[in-house]
Amino acid sequence: QHKQLSGVTSGCQQGGCLTCSDYNGCLSCKPRFFMHLERIGMKQIGVCMTSCPPGFFGTRLPERNTCTKCRSECDSCFNKNFCTRCRAGFYLHLGKCLENCPDGLIRSDTQRECV
Amino acid sequence: MRVDLFWVCLWCLLRPGAAGQGQSTAVCSPSCSCDGDGGADCSGRGLTTVPSGLSTFTYYLDLSMNNITELPAYVFKNFPYLEELRLAGNDLSFIHPEALSGLHQLKVLQLINVMSFFEGLQQLRHLWLDDNNLTEVPVGCLRHQANLQALTLALNRILYIPDNAFANLTSLVVLHLHNNRIKEIGDNCFAGLVNLETLDLNFNNLMVFPKAIEALPKLKELGFHSNGIASIPEGAFHNNPLLRTIHLYDNPLSFVGASAFQNLSDLHSLMLRGASMMQDFPILTLTNNLESLTLSGTKISSIPADLCEDLKLLRTLDLSYNEIQRLPSLQGCVRLQEISFQNNHIKQIDRDTFQGLSALRLLDLSINEIDVIHRDAFLSLTALTNLDLSKNSLTVIPTSGLSSLSQLKLSQNPQMKNVLTAKNLPKLRSISVPYAYQCCAFVGCDSVTSSSEDSDIKKSTGGEDVERISMIMHCSPSPGAFKPCEHLLGNWM
Repeated sequence: QHKQLSGVTSGCQQGGCLTCSDYNGCLSCKPRFFMHLERIGMKQIGVCMTSCPPGFFGTRLPERNTCTKCRSECDSCFNKNFCTRCRAGFYLHLGKCLENCPDGLIRSDTQRECV
Repeated sequence: MRVDLFWVCLWCLLRPGAAGQGQSTAVCSPSCSCDGDGGADCSGRGLTTVPSGLSTFTYYLDLSMNNITELPAYVFKNFPYLEELRLAGNDLSFIHPEALSGLHQLKVLQLINVMSFFEGLQQLRHLWLDDNNLTEVPVGCLRHQANLQALTLALNRILYIPDNAFANLTSLVVLHLHNNRIKEIGDNCFAGLVNLETLDLNFNNLMVFPKAIEALPKLKELGFHSNGIASIPEGAFHNNPLLRTIHLYDNPLSFVGASAFQNLSDLHSLMLRGASMMQDFPILTLTNNLESLTLSGTKISSIPADLCEDLKLLRTLDLSYNEIQRLPSLQGCVRLQEISFQNNHIKQIDRDTFQGLSALRLLDLSINEIDVIHRDAFLSLTALTNLDLSKNSLTVIPTSGLSSLSQLKLSQNPQMKNVLTAKNLPKLRSISVPYAYQCCAFVGCDSVTSSSEDSDIKKSTGGEDVERISMIMHCSPSPGAFKPCEHLLGNWM
């Protein structure tokens, strides 16, 4: 049963929810919040967040803001093709997570970047 | 060169956020939560100004979803190491030209003769300004951001982009401007963006093709769908040889220059719908990695005979709703899996039209004027599962080669009155025919089954053939009680 969120009810614990259901969590978010589908065991729960969790990037559109997974080699990203931080073993260069740095640059393990 | 390496390492160690080892004790503002590694999350706190009390070594600052309406000069001067700044979802309508000034990294190490000279190296790399109330590009404050690599100004109220708006952003790789009100852009507004790879102009009010993209030699992803652009000029992308994707749907396109999409060897997909004045098939020489081509709703009346010499990797071809009269041989497009020529003026299918297309699965030739199909036309189509020949002028169709066909549409071929046979169609599961009686060959007239039942009717004459035929699940129009002999009574029903 979809509820217009009046107060915090079971299954819809977060403040960013606009409509929610006990079973599925948030179904839609308040303006500017991001809708993120969180997996809990076999279930997916809708969660409304001010910004997307690590490993996801936010896409803002007039009708809906969504979180989308970054590429596998990115820890965080700006969009599908532009990483802002790499997973271990990869090194960031101009938004790409590379296993080897271009000529003239060296791998910084602390930064996970080509410097 | 040893010295070079030393200074680079020193610079790395000095930079905060270097895995935080030995980082000064976490200084944070009560309005934020800090991760002790240079990251500060102050999002969604109802802030109206940039909070004080944050660590000098902050490299990531999230101020999104607050109520900040303007950024005064030098507001970030205490954060010389800032790399990532999120200001999305505020009510920003004014950013002082000097707002981002003061983001200087330390003047690092002027070394004569050995290493280049770094001075005033800006640190900011990723800037989110989306979902605010900006009515213009904050040109002034972006002026010094030579290190900026990703910028979003999406979901603002920007109307116009002036020339040289991003002139010094030589490191910028991604620029999002979607969901603004951009009506016009200067022909040189993208000057200086020599490393830009992604430009998103979707959902704006552009009326003219953004010629300014000529300044973007490294552009790979371009989006300007959902605008008001009526024509794409000749040579539109001649300066963007690395383009991989171009999203231009939902524009009232009426004309597309034939040479617009030439020499785009990285382009994988081209989708043009509704360019109603377009008459010439686009020249696609050297655009030879195209895997999907959609050109529909145009006045194109012919396809170049050498189409498949360039497009050997093509997998889907949709040339529906044009005015094509004759088909060339598509023999070279050996990877084709889906073809649609629906709604054209095609009259015949030759022997070599689809020769060699052994990967083809879907073929839509409906709503044409086809009256002749060469008997070997489908010989190579051993993977074809769906064939739509409805609404043509056919009397017979060849079936050899169609061993994998599961769905066949022949309705609205009024001259096709002969009894059809499924002899070469062992896998047929669904067929639509011009006349109900023709379904008798597929589902048996004497015991009419509903179209969804799977019945195994043994007919005395058919033997093994009939048994296999009767496995057909669905035939329409099904020969119900009221349409026993459609053919004898003519088409009065």
